[in-house]
Amino acid sequence: MSLLRSLALLVLTLPPTLPLLVLIPRGFPHLLPPRDLDVVLHTGMLAMGGTLMALGLGLTLAYLAVRGGAGLIWESLLLLNYLVPPFVTGMGILFSLQVLGVKAYGVLGILMAWTLHYTPLAYLLLKPQVEGALPLLQTARVHGVMGLRRLRAFLPPLFPPLLVAGGTLYLALLGNFGVPAVLGLPERVYTLPTLVYARLTNPLAQDPLGEAATLGLWLGLLALPALLLSRPTLLEAKTPLLEKPHLSLRFLFALYVLGSLGLSLLGLLREALFNPFTGRLDPVFAQALALPLFRQGLLHSLLLSLLATGLLLSLALLLKPFPQALRVARGALDLTYLMPGTLLGIGLILLLAPTSLYGTPWLLLLAYLLHFAALALRSLEAGMRVEGAVLAGRVHGLPFWRSWLRLGYPLLLPSLFASGFLLFPLAFAEVTLSALLYAPGSETVGVTVLSALNGGLYREAAALGLILAGVAALGLLGRPRW
Amino acid sequence: MVRLQGLTKRFPGGGGVEGVELEVAEGEILVLLGASGSGKSTLLNLVAGLIAPDRGRVYLAGKDVTEAPPERRNVAYVFQDLGLWPHLTALDHLLLVMPKPNRKEALALLERVGLKDHAVKRPHELSGGQRQRVALARALARRPRVLLLDEPYSALDPVLREGLRLEVRTLLKEAGITALHVTHDPEEAMLLADRIGVMSGGRLLQVGASEEVYAHPNSLESFLAFGRANLLPLGAEVLAFRQEWVRGEGELEAVVLERRSLRGESLCRVRLPFGEAWVRLEGRPGERVRLGIDPLLRFPASELPKRSP
Repeated sequence: MSLLRSLALLVLTLPPTLPLLVLIPRGFPHLLPPRDLDVVLHTGMLAMGGTLMALGLGLTLAYLAVRGGAGLIWESLLLLNYLVPPFVTGMGILFSLQVLGVKAYGVLGILMAWTLHYTPLAYLLLKPQVEGALPLLQTARVHGVMGLRRLRAFLPPLFPPLLVAGGTLYLALLGNFGVPAVLGLPERVYTLPTLVYARLTNPLAQDPLGEAATLGLWLGLLALPALLLSRPTLLEAKTPLLEKPHLSLRFLFALYVLGSLGLSLLGLLREALFNPFTGRLDPVFAQALALPLFRQGLLHSLLLSLLATGLLLSLALLLKPFPQALRVARGALDLTYLMPGTLLGIGLILLLAPTSLYGTPWLLLLAYLLHFAALALRSLEAGMRVEGAVLAGRVHGLPFWRSWLRLGYPLLLPSLFASGFLLFPLAFAEVTLSALLYAPGSETVGVTVLSALNGGLYREAAALGLILAGVAALGLLGRPRW
Repeated sequence: MVRLQGLTKRFPGGGGVEGVELEVAEGEILVLLGASGSGKSTLLNLVAGLIAPDRGRVYLAGKDVTEAPPERRNVAYVFQDLGLWPHLTALDHLLLVMPKPNRKEALALLERVGLKDHAVKRPHELSGGQRQRVALARALARRPRVLLLDEPYSALDPVLREGLRLEVRTLLKEAGITALHVTHDPEEAMLLADRIGVMSGGRLLQVGASEEVYAHPNSLESFLAFGRANLLPLGAEVLAFRQEWVRGEGELEAVVLERRSLRGESLCRVRLPFGEAWVRLEGRPGERVRLGIDPLLRFPASELPKRSP
């Protein structure tokens, strides 16, 4: 490999990983003896528990969908649970269970919210695998293998995809800040991301950044096994030779979708629409939207997410004609996406606190770019294979860039739109990075909702949560075809 | 028109081509025949510039284009999956690749391939055969020095395939286009080729006129590429003959074991003094017949393939 190419690779990979690398010198000296081992273990076990629950439910739903023929609408409604920001799901569960007289704060509430929120992700990851494995079940049946013995033909091929999906879910849960912030902090039930936040905002802490960096390293260590998981060959989805869809299975699928959506949204609706003292219809949306902090947060989030989405999609389009550069950049940026956002947040503080960038919305923009870039690159990388079309153009005489402009990019438009509709709501309702990096005057909408909740403005928070859920539903417009 | 000189390309996972020397005259249709993985498509991709050779040179019209990008080679390619652009109409496919876009000419070309009434349809609105014609018309619209065709009929049903491939040969001959055509179907190769090149294991084993290569293969592999083969090991040699090289009169005594019928022809499994074979013959099971085989080829047994084809 030439020196120039090595240099180019370094330029592509080093800057995105720098915020993670700076954690090591700052946090490593305080790593031992472990001061917060209880929270470390607690976080790992909670994430593991949530992962197993979401995997189990996701696999069951995937089976129900494939055998029952779940339609587009039901699948979209299921996906809505994932698109709604996790902290809004947390708030939804809090208010819904309140109606039943149950307090959702603490470990069980967190697990419940995580399961509800991340089961659709498990479903998305596992459904193609179940589709691929079902013909094996049919083959076993045709050859007279019946009863539980049939599972020997069906389940083992699913283990590698389950492991990969489990790794992805575990990483997502480990880094989640919103749900433990809503359902854990009021009861002083900490996970590592919320403890980092608590330490950074603690005015009595002697070395808040050092402590946060150490906690960040612990978080990284917990995430490492999932990152090291190799990516085994996934099953190739074939059109399964299935019998007629089972209506009862479709019904069960729909029942789960309705139940989970109800649990996430009914409590919010009740809180936002009805006066808790009089029980009368008294929508609070106008008051919520009139809150100056919220209006400011809304504007910031809107601008930041639009800018981040635009910049990331432009970068992805620019890199798309150069597959090797795209792969290398995405490989480096995968780290900042898969690693818990808290790590990136602390890293950016360590790296940029002494600069004028700190305390401005631009820092948040940089954080969003680093955090969501892998998603943007992946969506175009995994989008429709356009390289063949571009090559066909070049073989027939079209110059490189003309071939991309006339053939490659137009074919990428559907993936581009889908990516935009996925990125925008995610960035719009982002809270993990915002909570760590915002400075007074540069609050985001997620931060203002959490502030409203912490300030006792429950009804307004519920109304704002519903608005965020509405924006999140935009993501359905760019829903990939399953 | 096309000259390949010591062309070599090896892939890390195996496969590729090794030291290929080949010349194709202007206006000639040369068909590369070989099994899957024999290196035929790799050779086309090297000529098109889609991959770069490890060694060797590619000359088109006397010009060394080894280092030239695909767009500078003035070739056209009918890909196995056709490589049509889903967002463009049939007419747009042609206009985009024409050196000087001319709507009238493009429409005339579409008419020539039987797509006059489908000019503004996109690929998904066309049938398999019509898509094939768009790919061909696009290739012709480019006015290429060389047309590359990679198993272009493999996705078509047999009836459509049979009609279309002869039509394409006529079109190519009328336009005087030099073509490198890849196929694993011996019948297609015989039907379309001026000359056939037999490929196996990345090497070009033999090049010659269709009948010449068919009747006088220079190796056992070359013999096997055409199918309908009987191989009978006999000591250090292998006796080889095709089903249709057997006559119902001669010196060899044989017993008919089984009879099948194919497209009105009778195929019999017979026991010969040196083994069993399938031959074209009229006979009934149990009948004793006398046969002649001409030619009866002999190859060293060491050339026998290590595993079944």
